[in-house]
Amino acid sequence: MSLATEKETRPFWTIARRDAAAGYLFIAPQLIGIVIFVLIPLGLVFWYSLHEWNVLANSFNYVGAANYQMLLADPSLPQVLTASAIFSAGLVVLNLSLALLLAVLLDQKLKGIVVFRTLFFSPVVVSLVAWTIVWSFLLQNNGGINGMLSAFGIEGPNWLRTPTTAMISVVVVQVFKNVGLNMILFLAALQGVPKELYEAARVDGAGAFKQFRRITLPLISPTILLTSIITIVGSLQVFAQIAVLTQGGPGMSTTVLVYYLYQQAFQFHFFGYGSTLSILLFVIVAVLTFAQWQLRKRVVFYEN
Amino acid sequence: MKTDLSPRIKVALYGLMCVLLIPFVFPTWWMITSSVKPISDIFAFPPDLWPRRFDFSTYAQVFELQPFARQYWNSAYIAAIVTAGTMIVSSMAGYAFARIKFPFSNAIFMVVLLGLLIPSEVTIVPLFQMFLGWGMINTHWPLILVPIFGAPSVFATFVMRQFFIALPTELEEAARVDGLGRFKIFWIIALPLAKPALGAVAIFTFLHSWNLYLEPIVFLSSTQMFTLPQALTQFTDAYGGAMWNIQLAAATMTAIPVLLVFIVAQKQFVEGLAHTGLKG
Amino acid sequence: MANLSLKSVRKAYGEASVLHGVDIDIADGEFVVLVGPSGCGKSTLLRMIAGLETITGGAIEIGGRVVNDLEPKDRDIAMVFQNYALYPHMSVATNMGFSLEHRGASKAEIAERVKWAADILGLAYLLDRYPRQLSGGQRQRVAMGRAIVRNPQVFLFDEPLSNLDAKLRVVMRGEIKGLHQRLGVTTVYVTHDQVEAMTMADRIVVMNAGKVEQVGAPLELYDRPANLFVAGFIGSPAMNMISGEITQGGFAAGGVTLPLPAGLGASGRATYGIRPEHLILADDGLAATVNLIEPTGSETQVAMTLGEHSITGVFRERISAQPGETIRVRPDLDAIHLFDAETDNRVE
Repeated sequence: MSLATEKETRPFWTIARRDAAAGYLFIAPQLIGIVIFVLIPLGLVFWYSLHEWNVLANSFNYVGAANYQMLLADPSLPQVLTASAIFSAGLVVLNLSLALLLAVLLDQKLKGIVVFRTLFFSPVVVSLVAWTIVWSFLLQNNGGINGMLSAFGIEGPNWLRTPTTAMISVVVVQVFKNVGLNMILFLAALQGVPKELYEAARVDGAGAFKQFRRITLPLISPTILLTSIITIVGSLQVFAQIAVLTQGGPGMSTTVLVYYLYQQAFQFHFFGYGSTLSILLFVIVAVLTFAQWQLRKRVVFYEN
Repeated sequence: MKTDLSPRIKVALYGLMCVLLIPFVFPTWWMITSSVKPISDIFAFPPDLWPRRFDFSTYAQVFELQPFARQYWNSAYIAAIVTAGTMIVSSMAGYAFARIKFPFSNAIFMVVLLGLLIPSEVTIVPLFQMFLGWGMINTHWPLILVPIFGAPSVFATFVMRQFFIALPTELEEAARVDGLGRFKIFWIIALPLAKPALGAVAIFTFLHSWNLYLEPIVFLSSTQMFTLPQALTQFTDAYGGAMWNIQLAAATMTAIPVLLVFIVAQKQFVEGLAHTGLKG
Repeated sequence: MANLSLKSVRKAYGEASVLHGVDIDIADGEFVVLVGPSGCGKSTLLRMIAGLETITGGAIEIGGRVVNDLEPKDRDIAMVFQNYALYPHMSVATNMGFSLEHRGASKAEIAERVKWAADILGLAYLLDRYPRQLSGGQRQRVAMGRAIVRNPQVFLFDEPLSNLDAKLRVVMRGEIKGLHQRLGVTTVYVTHDQVEAMTMADRIVVMNAGKVEQVGAPLELYDRPANLFVAGFIGSPAMNMISGEITQGGFAAGGVTLPLPAGLGASGRATYGIRPEHLILADDGLAATVNLIEPTGSETQVAMTLGEHSITGVFRERISAQPGETIRVRPDLDAIHLFDAETDNRVE
């Protein structure tokens, strides 16, 4: 049988073709959605960023890179970026170390440990704005926290009205809200470390701390990396907490990038400049994610 | 690490955990108890862990000041549709990326993963303009369409893909020999086995939709259309000051149902999240 | 039931060719075992017969019908997988009846066929259980039950016993063989275990690196391996291979001269093959130094050095020699094999 006739006798809908068609059908909703709700908007946001657009004045003019020049000259931007950096760094460090500490505690052989796990995790399922409102109530000058401090004879600061404590407050409120997620991921990773490794290390004479540093940490390092990426990207998206607790204040001390973007676009109606800030946010997220994946090669000791 | 601990260490660990629990448990407790205190007792020194006097009128006021039942319904039905829709879209896409060979599948997957890099905050300005052009501002469509089809569902698709990759191929091959086509293999074999991953996706998606805040305040303008997070911040007096006890009553009503579901199903919650493709 | 015929079947993944043209004719009702080391292409070939892999070239015919482009379900085959592939969320009965259900059989018909298959395999008491509640052997039986329930034209087995322990493997070997004798369905069975191949097959196909090395009845492969590969693969412990030269006085190889049968036509460089069980203890034999003695009770396996060569012998006798001592052995002249040094093919 020659190749040519062999081809002619084959039906058009071969197994492979039918399968490919099914594949496209399965991904179609997601792909079309991504095009409409992610890719096109991303293109538009770039397009808008090249325009001076004031909705109130009803003006939409091509201005080239003017918005980007404005970005570089914006006197508020250094403050905004500093606030974002402090918020993200503080959040990631606090969140990951607390999550790891809690996971190690929950990994111990103790009775009733599930109750503790449930309670530590519970803020994750409490509505974000509800959680934040309670904290803003507790953090008032005459609120619950200062009330408790006064019982010990300490006069607490006006938490949300002092720049430093306001930043600490938004970070801490967010950490307690979501640390349960990372805690559970770490706990799963800890429980995935083969028990024999600890037994072997004990036979080799390693103490608890050394076991943790030489066995546990390297083996859960992929999880640490993954959670740090998720947490950092998440920290750049924080909005509700700032809006409810501090509205970016006092001054601009807690105005992070997303909040600034919201103000420029939806409170002052500078859509062009707001779009430029969106591009900046996108670049920061992309660079951070990329850097962390690169870091994986050096820091992650062990991977399946 | 997991050796039997001496009683002294056990007591120390319990003590440490109880102290650490305070900031996790106390706010919720404070929210619930303060919501039934009269406003004058809320800021009492020293603070009361249990209400001295009960005042349930705050709960009635929540419904008088805003169409709170309507807002509750808005949040609930939006979250339900978004959860169901995301489960369908993401399980199909995740399955195809994991299991079906088709040209450019890897390239397309990379494009879809871009959604993880582009949080909806980045595209909020053009999304607002697009929905404005479609006449969908002050409707719930943006809060339904974007999460199901846009960036937020990409994470769900990723989780589903990781799960399906780990599912034994032999099962599907057996099903092909048994006479099933792609769609039936997906529906009868793969999907029922993906219940743990679907559960995790459902939890994530529901919480994400339930907590959404930036999008509602951008897209919605009338109180009738508001969702709960947005409504909670609106309980202010004529001078813009917060009406704390009413706000706490509304917050309690927002938080309690989800919290109860979680406590009943906490095993599925926690283990579902832990055992998805999140591990890498 | 039907015959199965492979005509220069090829498989390539892009540039990488994994099967280089396989021709096999399998008669109606025959039990054929594909055997070879891992990576030889035997599983790929089986999956191509099943329709789970596409066919790059050539043709596969079942009952005279070319099935190259047919879906697995349209080929009228049934397959037993290595890990059984039982649907974890369905009961044993549902698993077994699943294929009939999706071919539009009536409820009564399905129930009847499932009962028939369950009776044959002794599964009737397990029908309501779920796969996770079954032992390895029981899962294996259910997988077979699922295959026979539909009465297909061809059975395909992909290393079905490799997850069972040694004892159970022997039992299931017998059951599969018995099932074949009872149902008489054409069967293709893939394994890497040559003992399984020898004990079960009507005919064995030995494969290596994407090619068929030899096709034949089990004892034919054992007695007359066509080349060095088959000679080394079939038989345990493996055949001793000694390379050297055929001369007038015998086979000259590194310090020893091994005897050759009279009237041998061949000459030149060659490989001399003798199975361990075909070495005989003899006072007039060649002197070999004992390295290691492993008695199994029924026989004794001896690793020894003969000239420059390490060889193995298996003897019915009990041997009292200690490592370092010398024993005298000679090959059974009726059982030696010679292979061409260039082509590795058998020399008569």
